[in-house]
Amino acid sequence: MSNVSATLPRKARVPIFVVLVLVGISIAYPILYLAFTAFRTRADYLGNPFGLPSELTLQNFISVWNNYGIGRALLNTVIVVAVGLTVQLLVAGLAGFALARYPVPGARYISGALVSVMLIPSQVLIIPIYLLLSRIGLVGSLPGLILVYVATGLPFATFFLIVTYRSLDTSVLEAARVDGAGFWRTFLSVASPMAIPGLATLLVLQFIAMWNELLFAYILLPNDQLRLITPALAQIGGRFTNDQPFVAVGLILTALPPLLLLSFAAKYVMSGLGASFGR
Amino acid sequence: MTSPVLAAPVASASAGATGARPPGRARWRTSERLVGIAAVAPAVVLVLGFMVYPVCYAIWISFNKTNGLSFDYVGLDNYTKLLADPLLHKVFLTNLIFLISVPLVILAALVCSVLLYERIRGWRFFRVLFFVPNVLSTAVIGLMFKSLFSYRGPINAVLAQFGIPPVDFFAGAGSAIFVIIIALVWSGFGYQTIILLSGLSAINPEIFEAATVDGAGWWKRLWYITLPNIRGVLALVSILNVLYTFTALFGFIFVMTAGGPGYDTTTLDYLIYTLAFSSTRLGEGAALAVMVFLLIGGLTALQLRVFRVSEEN
Repeated sequence: MSNVSATLPRKARVPIFVVLVLVGISIAYPILYLAFTAFRTRADYLGNPFGLPSELTLQNFISVWNNYGIGRALLNTVIVVAVGLTVQLLVAGLAGFALARYPVPGARYISGALVSVMLIPSQVLIIPIYLLLSRIGLVGSLPGLILVYVATGLPFATFFLIVTYRSLDTSVLEAARVDGAGFWRTFLSVASPMAIPGLATLLVLQFIAMWNELLFAYILLPNDQLRLITPALAQIGGRFTNDQPFVAVGLILTALPPLLLLSFAAKYVMSGLGASFGR
Repeated sequence: MTSPVLAAPVASASAGATGARPPGRARWRTSERLVGIAAVAPAVVLVLGFMVYPVCYAIWISFNKTNGLSFDYVGLDNYTKLLADPLLHKVFLTNLIFLISVPLVILAALVCSVLLYERIRGWRFFRVLFFVPNVLSTAVIGLMFKSLFSYRGPINAVLAQFGIPPVDFFAGAGSAIFVIIIALVWSGFGYQTIILLSGLSAINPEIFEAATVDGAGWWKRLWYITLPNIRGVLALVSILNVLYTFTALFGFIFVMTAGGPGYDTTTLDYLIYTLAFSSTRLGEGAALAVMVFLLIGGLTALQLRVFRVSEEN
């Protein structure tokens, strides 16, 4: 990649930097502002919402944790996301590896169909899925939602992994086959270790998608006991709008895991973007 | 249940699809074909069961009057009733108003990507920073902007510094839509910046160098080289954003206004939810969902065609 700024005089770089900094502040400021609000008392916030806090307190976190079932919501979310990601990665990995490397009849049509299925918006799916799951008693149960998350994420995950497994060095896989390694051996011990960057990228993208999902989580888990964190936050925000520090606590707790993931795995997230255009 | 049904027609079709086959296919044995089919089967079954079948089921529901328990076949009644409903016209217009966000997002993304492309100090950091809103849930972003623009929130505190009386942003249709559009632009431009940046990186740098040697300034290069070369990516970005406006506003509306005041900020995707889950008119909800699906399918096809025609000229 050539360094284009070589054609730019040093003087011209200053205004560009200033504009980028201003845009950067407009992104970071609202988030940092709410992070601060979460540590302020309600009286302090109402006295001067825009100013700097006069004192910082953890009381908001304690109240929200004790009174609004945030701990349980976090636990439910971790269960759903952990089981969902594991199952999805396994199912999509098997399918992606087979479609990329095995003589699956009609492989090309299957990958084509996966891309078109990706375009189905969740608004179209929510009514029939709600009725189907309620008929088999899976509305209001974590396994029902996990199943829906696994299935609706599969087209993208499988497509992504087809591309990943196809880009692996063919000669290594051929060698394993000649040595008599079967499907499972090749898949688990040869191909997947080579595909770790792709698998990690997919894991990060799908984690963010599941963690943030609102519509299915809200409709398919109607009882408070099983609330996930994102719908729980949406409810806190709806009910307690007068208590901004409480809302800010919910916001920070919900936003933190994806933000941490982005800061530690920016490389994977950014490299996965090219493949996720269709989303 | 579904896999043998699927395997039969697919197997006969595979004869034509030899191109994508890995090398050495002559050595593949039948048993390996079966292993391949078995590995693909779980994914295919899940996608058929939870995506393809539900779409068909949604179409069937849309021909019924139902509360979810008893189904009463009414033909196209749900569709004709909805299409004649002034509420749907109003909601559709609201959705069109939200399209204002599309040029705003693209303009912001274009400015940022062109500036990032200069690769000045720290551009990688800015790229990640601009992307931050994309890892947040629409519920988080919606509530953030609801807090910022609330009656006793910081925006009103700033206005008060200038002697402007506080504004109740979510009490009026215009101001509520204004806030939601700001939230949309704030959350949307980072991803589009990355896509445009990848388009820019695909331009051959020699063109820029040649132009510079010929004495073309920065603005001239932007207008005559950069922009024409990313026309295709710009088209893709605009398609993505238009689709987004019709399908991804639910989270924002849900936490910020709940469709109100009245139905003033209700969008098509929020109306589907209201019909189906607040008033248990599941048939009408499904009919609207099918229509929205047809609309975005049609829009995608149309935009792709227009884009392809302009690309050929």
